[in-house]
Parts: sequence; structure tokens; C-alpha cells
Amino acid sequence: MKATSLGRLLAAVVTAVVCLAGCVSTGPAPVGAGGDGAQPAVSLPGGGTTYAPAQPYDVTPLLHPRKKYFGATFDGVPRDLGPVGKYASQVGRTPTMLEYYLGWGDALQADQTEAVWENGQLPYIAWEPHKATLAQIADGSQDAYIVSTARTLRAVNVPVAISLAHEMNGGWYPWGHGKATAAQFVKAWRHVHDVFQDEGVSTVIWVWSPNVVNPVPQVALKPYWPGDGYVDWVGVVGYYARTGAQDFAALFGPTFRQIRTFTERPFLLAETGAQPSPRKSAQITELLKTVAGRSDVVGFIWFDLDKETDWRVDSSPEALAAFRAAARDHRYDLDFTALKHTRQKQR
Amino acid sequence: MSHTVPPLHEETMQLRVLPPPPPEADPGYSFVEEPLPGWTLPPPAQMGWAADTGRRRRTVGLALLAVILLVQAALSLRLANSAFEDEALYIWAGHVEIGHLFYGAPNYGGFDTYFSGAPVLYPVLAAAVDSVLGLAGVRAMSLLFMLTATACLYGLTRRLFNERAGLAAGALFAVSMPTLFLGHFATYDALAVCLLALTGWLLVVVAPRHWALAAPVALVAALAVGVKYASALFLPTLVLLYVLAAYRHHHVRRALLRGALFSVATLGILVGGLVASGYLTAIQSTTTARAHGSTPTWQIVQDTARWAGLLVAVALVGTVTYARTARLSEIPGWRRAVPGRRWRTCLGVLLTGTALLAPAYQIHLHTETSLQKHIGFGLFFAAPMAGVGVTRLMGAHVKFPQWAIAIGVVALTLGLSQSATYFGSWPDTRYLVPQLSYTVRPGQHWLGDPKEGPVYYLSRERRTSYQDWLSFFFIDYKTRDGRRLSGIPGYRAAVRDGWFDGVVLNYSGGLAPAEEAVRQEMRTSGRYRLKGSLPYRTSTGTGHFEIWVRQSGGPR
Repeated sequence: MKATSLGRLLAAVVTAVVCLAGCVSTGPAPVGAGGDGAQPAVSLPGGGTTYAPAQPYDVTPLLHPRKKYFGATFDGVPRDLGPVGKYASQVGRTPTMLEYYLGWGDALQADQTEAVWENGQLPYIAWEPHKATLAQIADGSQDAYIVSTARTLRAVNVPVAISLAHEMNGGWYPWGHGKATAAQFVKAWRHVHDVFQDEGVSTVIWVWSPNVVNPVPQVALKPYWPGDGYVDWVGVVGYYARTGAQDFAALFGPTFRQIRTFTERPFLLAETGAQPSPRKSAQITELLKTVAGRSDVVGFIWFDLDKETDWRVDSSPEALAAFRAAARDHRYDLDFTALKHTRQKQR
Repeated sequence: MSHTVPPLHEETMQLRVLPPPPPEADPGYSFVEEPLPGWTLPPPAQMGWAADTGRRRRTVGLALLAVILLVQAALSLRLANSAFEDEALYIWAGHVEIGHLFYGAPNYGGFDTYFSGAPVLYPVLAAAVDSVLGLAGVRAMSLLFMLTATACLYGLTRRLFNERAGLAAGALFAVSMPTLFLGHFATYDALAVCLLALTGWLLVVVAPRHWALAAPVALVAALAVGVKYASALFLPTLVLLYVLAAYRHHHVRRALLRGALFSVATLGILVGGLVASGYLTAIQSTTTARAHGSTPTWQIVQDTARWAGLLVAVALVGTVTYARTARLSEIPGWRRAVPGRRWRTCLGVLLTGTALLAPAYQIHLHTETSLQKHIGFGLFFAAPMAGVGVTRLMGAHVKFPQWAIAIGVVALTLGLSQSATYFGSWPDTRYLVPQLSYTVRPGQHWLGDPKEGPVYYLSRERRTSYQDWLSFFFIDYKTRDGRRLSGIPGYRAAVRDGWFDGVVLNYSGGLAPAEEAVRQEMRTSGRYRLKGSLPYRTSTGTGHFEIWVRQSGGPR
């Protein structure tokens, strides 16, 4: 009798196990049955790597940090980040922003973008529409490329500053004044911005980047302004040349004043440098001090290239010494980790 | 050789060796057995195919039912997603009601004006469980309700037919999409199905007994309607089922009287409850005069077929075969005391037809809202006939088990995939809520789609409150110059004025008009910035949540 009940019990257990075995999942479950429906894994175009960002990087603390961005750009970046280290040892401070250029139609390299951020710099991408007109960008015919770039950025999930079609008020680029209209520029800008948002990208800091008005006083900036909802920083491009403006106020003042008539967005000196001259050291000192002191300027990017002329900080020992001295200013002690931690502490 | 074989035991031989076949071979599955002339059948013996329910049969039946329930529980529990807006809303409403009923807090929200069930019944129960065990506990409670429904179904079918039909019905119902879905879904549907099932089973149980026993059952039926008003759709079925069940033991007049008594008792309780509560408006707006939609009839029919088609088809087979023959020719002496053909036809048509009530009503309204849940109600009633259908297809002495296997496999496959699909049809807020939890501050005004999920999760952390959130459903905004605006102009004005501290949008291939207008206003005014985009994937596609926050400085 006992054996029979044991047998029955065994039979019941075996039946239950067999029935339940069918319910045990093997492999990825579908969404709704324990499958991950919150965050899709994304395959990067070309890269083949799969990322599944748990949370998008929150860029809002990076928009108005108390400390200033100490940026630079070099030849060969971002493929080779060697110049960044060399520059850091030269000037005694590691850059916190690295500008590099992306030709329209070229794939944004996810690994390089990530490497720049890992290296301690906010990637600043100057997106140059050489291969498509602003009208084409605006009419949606370039959307496949815009979408693929957006998806790459979403998958990489690091903060990135993007300036599209910079120096549009000058006549020297194919997208500049005289070759495309301000209305086309605004339409193209808004279109790219909107496609990025529709693709779920929130990690981009949008930098509207005109040249200083001094060489092109006849071109008004306001028609080029896409609107406060589309821009985070006003990235003014201005260089100290041997001729022309010789101090900060003369170089940037007129542009700043004109821009302040239509927006209060903070300034970034998106590209700056000084031609070798006896005044270079003084210009460097004044520039770094002014940027550090002004609450409406978030930082600067030094154009450390020998292009057309030697804009680099080490064009002379005096210039380098001046730069080293000015770079010691604690107001440039921007710390991304601290910013992120401040954000998390609020939880 | 033969002399070495031990002598055969005569009795064993009789048991083992089949009697010689009758002159005209009986294929074994014919529904009408031709009695051989000149034969008299011996009285039925206590054996496997006996007509009465022996203790052993009962135990085996219950053991197999336990296995079915175990599988149902496992399949329901495997479903995973964050709180759906209805779940979040009902639980939240329950907390408000508890605060109002027991602690004298204001009863805001006006839940009694638009809920499709009494807010003081299920929501209060759900909120009480939620306080202790969280959403998982409330969902586990739903599972308990659905398991009870399956058990009641087995009991009901066993009493109307037999154990085998009961097990087949239970298995088909247990793995169907609505059952698995509702078994892990914290809304009042599971409780309503459970109470209807309980009513059905109890009515069949009390049918042969004293007439007064129907009164407490009426209480359960009325409770089912109170929990979810749409349950009233199934009250006529229950009354007729009771009449049919009673008719087998009493005269037609007494059966009808019992039915009338049950109806009057149920209606009396309902009318009393209605007068006392004043929920008539809500019942009209959510159930009887529900807004008409624009879903084409064909689509509703198609979806009904996908979710309930198999079970209803097998139930039809059961109805037809049952109407033709009362029993399989397994049991000696089966012709005694079988119900008549008219009774059998009525029962089959009643039960199978009930499965089509909810889809028919939704076709009438042209809306597919909650169809996948409502179908589950009807499936409960059709399931006994489906159980009969399976036993009939298997034939006498389970001669063709492949039918049951084939139907079972198809039902299980459909149930598995469909339940996962529908449980994954809303976006998971698993990452949205943590992101919001350090953005949202108490007292801030938020506009959100989704709204209910974040409010439910964040209010648990005391981060926000229901009153601080607006949805895209309705706004009555008072502008700075005193004008009152509603609809899209209201949302636009509120965004322009920077009234919201933050906005949550749900972008999935596009936005609804009000949301699109709000996003456009946020872009053009520049008062808000996109703080985070959280991509998600549902079983139907991809999209992302957007969190927008008001910029501290603000533009000129």
C-alpha cells in the first residue's frame, strides 16, 4: 500500500516536472515574457559592436557648469589621441573638450567618439556639409545618413557637442553666405535637430557656430538663428590675426553684442588661436583670463594647428609660457565625474 | 511443449483475453451502439469507465487539475512588464479610497465617475495588497483569482459532464491567452472572472438542492457585477445555466421558478447597491453607453478568431456531438438517465454562444478596447463545451488521443505567444522611472504620457502625487490674463508660460496631436530642454520616452 502511494506521488511529481519543463525559457524570451523590452540592443553601422545603454547620459549638467571648458583641436584627432597628451604636458592641463571635423557623408566612428570621452574630453564635432547642400539636408533627401549618425550616437551614449555648418555667415565655405540662404541654413539645422530627437538622441549639445562678424559686417546673424529651442551654445569662431582686432573686446565684442539682441544662450569660443606676433603672449593671457572670468562664456577651444600660419601654443617659448601660466587658473578645473556625481547625489 | 506450461488461472484469463468479436465489427468510435439482439446487459460494475464518480477517479481528477493549475501559474508568472496605466491607476485610486474611507482624506480624482467597476471594491483590495507586497503581490492576487476560475470551471464541467471533459476544459481555458494575461494583470477583470466562475459553479452545485441556496449565490453574482460592471453581460447566461441545471432534477416549472428567484435576488442586490452608491453615470459612460470607436468589424472578428477561435471551434464540435449523443458508448447501461436532446442542445448553444457575447457587443460599439480581456469572460463559458468536444474527438476509451494532443499543442502555442505579445504591448518604464525619480521633485507640475505609471512608482517614493500630474487627455488652463483654455491651445499656453516643470512624451513613430503640439511649442519657445531620451521596444514596435525639463535661466 505504501509502495503504491509512493509510486503515485512519484508519478505526480514526474508529470508536474515534465509539464513545467516546457515552460522554462531557453534563450532570449520575447518582449512581455521576460524579454528586455525597455532598452533595445543596438548594432552599430560598420562597428558590429552591440551596446545597450541603461540610461542616456544626461547632458544638462554640462550645459552651464560652474567651471570652464578647456578645449583644443589638433591635427590627426580623433584617430590618434597622442597630440592630446602631448599638449596636456606642454600647457600643464588636460583639455576637457576636443574638437574634430566630420565630413558630410562620412560615418561617425563610434569607437573614436567613445575613446575621446574616455580620454577625458567632451567630443566636439564640427559637421561640415561639403557633399550635400543645406537645401538637400532640409528637404529630407539626406535623412538616411542623418538617421544612421543619430543611431550611432544613441548607441555610444556619451555626450557630444555638434556644430553643423559652422561659420555660415562667412562666404568661404560652400554652405556659407552667398552660397546658401539663411532660411536654408535654419531649415537644415532644425531638420537635423528634429531627426536626432525623433531617433531618441538626447546626448547632443547643439552649438550654433558663426564666425566673428568683424570680417563680414554686412551679414546679419539673426536670420541664421534657428531658435532657442534648437541651440544650447553659441560657438563663436574668432582668431587673433596679425592684422585686425588685437584684444578680446575688439575681436569678440561686436559679435557678442549682436547675438545678445536675439538670444541669451551662453557663448563658447568654438575656435580661437593667435598668429605668431609679439602680442601673442599678451593675447593668450587676456583670452584665458576673460573666458575664466565671464559667466556668459562656457569655455574655449584652442586651434592648435600649423595651418596657413602657426596658431599653436608653442609657436614661441614666450607664448607657451604665457599659456601655461594662464592655464593654471582653477576656474578651468572642470571635472566630468564630479558633474555626474552631483547629478546622482540628487537621487 | 504444452505440458510444461503451468495451468492457466481461469479468472485471469477471463480478464486478459478479449471475448470473441461480435459478427458485425464495432469500430469502437461509433456514437450509437447497436445492441445485439437477445442480449441483456449486466448491471454496471465498479470499474474504470463506471458512470458514478468513485473516490479514486475524483483523486486522479484533482491531481491532474493540480498539474494544470501549476502550468497555468508558471505560464502567467513568466509574463513580465512594468505597471500598465490601468493597473497603476486602479491601485492608486485604491490608495485614495482607503485614505478617504478610513482616514478622512479628500476623495479627489472622481474615480467613481469614469471607472468601469466600483472604486471601493477591487481598487481598495488591490491597494491594501500593494501596501504590503507591491505590484507583484497584486498581480499574484490576480493569478489566484484566475486559478480559482480554472478550478471552478473543472468543478462545473465535471458536474455537467464528467471528469475527462472537465480536465480538457480546464486545460484549454488555462493556457488560453486571456487567462494567462489576466493571471498577471492587476485589474478587476481577474476578480470579475473569478466571481462569475464561482457563481456558475455554485449554481450547478445548488441546482439539485434547496431553492433558498440560490440567494447567497446571487450575492456573489452581484459582487461580480459590482467589481466590473460589464460582468452583467453574463448574468443571463448564468440564470439560464441555473434553470437548465435545475431542470435535470426538478420539473420545468420549479426550475423556472428557481431561475426567477435567482434573477430577482441578484437584481435586488444590484439595484440596492446602485441606489446606495450613485454610480449610474459611470456605468453609463464606461459600459452601457461607451463611446463608439472606429475599429472595423472585420478586424474585431479577426482578433476574436485569433484569441478565441480554437476554443470556440472545439466547443462547437462539442455542442454538435453532444446534441447528437448524450454520452460516449463507454459505460454499460449509459442509456439510463441521460438528458434529452432538447436540453443538450440548449446547454451547448447557451455555453458556446456566450463566448460570442463580448465580441458581438464590441462589434456593435466598433471598439477594440480591452477586447483581449473581455474575450476571457466568454471563454470561461464556452470551455465546458470545448472540453466535451475534445473528449468526443478522442472517442470512447480515449481511442484517438492524437486529437487531444494536437488541440493541446496548438492551444498552448497560441496561448504562450499571444499572452507574451499582449503583455509586452505597452512600453516598459523600468528605466524611465529611475530617471524621473531624480528629476521630479514633490510639488512640481508635470505633464505626462505615460502618467499613471510614473505617478504610481514615484508616489511610492513620495516623489510626487497624483494631483501634480496632468495627462494629454484633458487640460483646463487659466492663462496669466485670466482666460481659460482647454485642449491643444491650453497645453500650448501652459508650455509657453512655463507652467510645467517637466514633460514626459512617448514617441513611437510619431506623436498624438496634443503631444506633437506640446513638443513643437517646447522647441519654438525654447523654455524646455530635452533631458533624456530612453529607447524602448514593445512587442509591436520601438519608440522612446522623452523627458523635457524647464530651463532654469530661460531665454529672453
